[in-house]
Amino acid sequence: MRRNARILITIVIITAICGTILGVQKVRLNNLERGSDDLLGLTLGLDLQGGSHLIYQAINPETGEPGGITEDQMKSLSRTIERRVNASGLGEPIIQILGEDRLLIQLPGIRDPGRAKALIGETARLEFKHRTTDVPPKPLTNILTEDVISISADGVSSDKTLKSDDDADSENTSAYAESIVFEFSESGTLKFNEVVANLQFSMITAMNAAEVGSNPPAPARLGVNIEGAETLRFQTNGLQIIRLEQAEREGHKFVIALPSSDTEGTSVLSIEEANAKLGTSPTVNFEISEGYIDEDIGLSGDDLENAYPSQHQASGAPIVNIEFNERGTKAFGELTTEIYAKQQSSGVRDQIAIILDGKELIAPVVNSPITAGTAIIQGGDFTLERVKDLALLLESGRLPVPIQLIQERDVDAMLGADSLRKSVIAGIAGLSLVLFFMILYYRVPGLIASLSLIIYAMIVLAIFKMLPLTLTLSGVAAAILSIGMAVDANILIFERMKDELRTGRTMLSSINIGFNRAWPAIRDGNVSTLITCAILYWFSDQLGATIVQGFAVTLAVGVAVSMFTAITVSRTLMRVIALTPVSRNVRLFIPTGGGEIKDHVQN
Amino acid sequence: MNFSERRPWFFLLSLLVILPGIVFLILAPGLNPGIDFTGGSSITMQFPEGAGANQKAIREKLQAIGYPESTVQNLGNSTIDGERYDLFFLRTKTLDETKKDVLVATLNDQYSPEQPNTLLSFDLVSAVIAQETVINACWAVLAATIGIFFYVWWAFRKVPRPIRYGLAAIVALLHDTLIVVGIFAILGYFLDTEVNTMFLIALLTVIGYSVNDTIVVFDKIRENVMTYTNRPFPEVVNLSISETMGRSLNTSFTLLVTLLALLLFGGATIREFLYVLIIGVIAGTYSSIAIATQVLVSWDQKTIGKLISS
Repeated sequence: MRRNARILITIVIITAICGTILGVQKVRLNNLERGSDDLLGLTLGLDLQGGSHLIYQAINPETGEPGGITEDQMKSLSRTIERRVNASGLGEPIIQILGEDRLLIQLPGIRDPGRAKALIGETARLEFKHRTTDVPPKPLTNILTEDVISISADGVSSDKTLKSDDDADSENTSAYAESIVFEFSESGTLKFNEVVANLQFSMITAMNAAEVGSNPPAPARLGVNIEGAETLRFQTNGLQIIRLEQAEREGHKFVIALPSSDTEGTSVLSIEEANAKLGTSPTVNFEISEGYIDEDIGLSGDDLENAYPSQHQASGAPIVNIEFNERGTKAFGELTTEIYAKQQSSGVRDQIAIILDGKELIAPVVNSPITAGTAIIQGGDFTLERVKDLALLLESGRLPVPIQLIQERDVDAMLGADSLRKSVIAGIAGLSLVLFFMILYYRVPGLIASLSLIIYAMIVLAIFKMLPLTLTLSGVAAAILSIGMAVDANILIFERMKDELRTGRTMLSSINIGFNRAWPAIRDGNVSTLITCAILYWFSDQLGATIVQGFAVTLAVGVAVSMFTAITVSRTLMRVIALTPVSRNVRLFIPTGGGEIKDHVQN
Repeated sequence: MNFSERRPWFFLLSLLVILPGIVFLILAPGLNPGIDFTGGSSITMQFPEGAGANQKAIREKLQAIGYPESTVQNLGNSTIDGERYDLFFLRTKTLDETKKDVLVATLNDQYSPEQPNTLLSFDLVSAVIAQETVINACWAVLAATIGIFFYVWWAFRKVPRPIRYGLAAIVALLHDTLIVVGIFAILGYFLDTEVNTMFLIALLTVIGYSVNDTIVVFDKIRENVMTYTNRPFPEVVNLSISETMGRSLNTSFTLLVTLLALLLFGGATIREFLYVLIIGVIAGTYSSIAIATQVLVSWDQKTIGKLISS
């Protein structure tokens, strides 16, 4: 009896503790802090509170495929994304590295997964490159002599028509720009057209960059060297080359406006002078002068420690501060030293191109070698807004490796709330029905089983809250299923006990034998369920399948606790009851299932 | 009741349930795999009742905007804040953010112009993940089967020929799996019901439950075999089944009650999961009484070969 009393007190204490844990929304014990604002302070999964579940695959930047990602890269990736999401105010992400090269990002309660995904950025990658601005011209070797059919000088109007003979002497010759007309063969037209397109693209890029940056990159230029009666050399950009489209035959003609001065410094030629220079059979070769070349020096966002906006101490002008890590400091130091040395010796101002996702953010020049790992970027047109955005972009562009979305699961908060409400109703309904059935069928033992089931439910929920275990929809199903299993343990025991009572044993010994006989079946049955849980857990761990994992853990906890409550709680309560006068009325302990007694007698 | 004598009828009944499922499983299209196993996107949307949204109309709409391979499933209806909604589950090829927005907006314009918030959930699974899921699923089922087989073998090591118990438990487990999978192959054919990760969880749970239930009967046999050493094995099995019958039915009954409560009050999203469990619990209860034990008896009577030849 003394032992029973001790166990009984323990059970009461455990129940009281669990009740308190569940009753208090947020639990604080020393450093341990648990609880939430949700139901009973439980941690709810995405399917019960809404949110986004994203799995990204890290891609090896060298191969463009998964594989070869280091642990450090994954950690850095995880930190970057965490910071990015935290800063956005989208809520606290739960980020987990799966296997070697996958990242699971859970965003509970998020309402706009599209924004989160844009923020996490699927390929954002920041690179620092050495921008060489004095690129030697490169001859265009693919345009051959036979590709050029004729070269002549003429006036070209803005609507892309050549000056006709009729207009030659008219008064408005000034509307015609002096140009050189190149007629190409079929294949020459195609090749030259591509050259022109590239030149124009480079021109547009430069103009766009000039709008946002203070050091716009120089556009590529085309060098034209004509050998005729005399040499005619000049450079031109993409916008000064026009393809004539007026007549079909003229589609093979390109005109290049004569520059205001050629490379020798002579001024614009008249059409007559140009024609005189060309002579009768001029030949041409073209050269491309790239405005700049960006050279990869292996410095990436990975090496950037920090970027933040501030104001220049002396002038108060808005600036961006950047700080590199050890490796970055070294690479950045070498780069700036090299660029500075070149400036000193040749006067050519190379730049550092900072490129995010292939798009230029800014390309500052270097004023002095920077070896300390901290630098400031300043620009004449910098505003407070601009430096803030720039710092943010630098910060956010620091994904060490590109990533690719491979799984997504978004649940609307409304659906989550609905599922939660329905689960609670279903849980209460299911539990009540089971309790009702147990009491109706098993009488006093049923009542005791019901009591231990309620204790069971409290312990399970308290464990969920304290671990903490995320409760998902599948977890609710598992919890309800484990109620069924907990009931099963009780049913097994009572059926055994009933058998013993029928053989005329005393209440107490029936209880003891009943529990002992039922134990192997309970143990073996539950172990087989635990095996399934372990396999489910392993299976889901491979995939970051949180719904599966939630289910497996919930079921395992449920099964484990059910063994405790069925054996310890039910048994102790039964023993206590057996010592009271209630136990003298055996009919309160044996259900009146007539069919069953008949079965029993038959055998 | 003499269970052992009636075992041919038990086996026949099981066959009658399993065979149609197998026919549907083998003949195309078999199970209807969801995006978890094939890759792609799925969307759950709700539209106000009476807005004209139905399976056929939505499918035609999807076809019209360039998703001819899509499937649409009606998940029934739900009531939120007193308003009634029809829920639909759409499955398409992989959608990126823009395509998803366009698709959702198109259906919104059509069926819910007043209330644009119709998107309840969105899922995307890449082909890589889907392939891994399939492989892992096969491994999980195989591992569970093997793990349980060895455990049962070990747990019954004290009775004669314990390996038979392990194998009989596996037969019962496969029996239940085949029933569930077969029924879902039929449902997939007629109702577009798909199998997904949740289905797999449910199936593994059924496996766990089936074995749990079988073990209880086996446990009684284990006990009775030791007690009545001189009685013939089929008689011992009969006695054991009778003695555990009450417990088996009561446990299944309480489980079914909780599952039905979930089905009635729970959300539409776990309905299929519950169907699997309900079918599985019924099959599991039946198989532990009529299949697992009778496999033991047949083996003991050496009638397994006869059964196959007859």
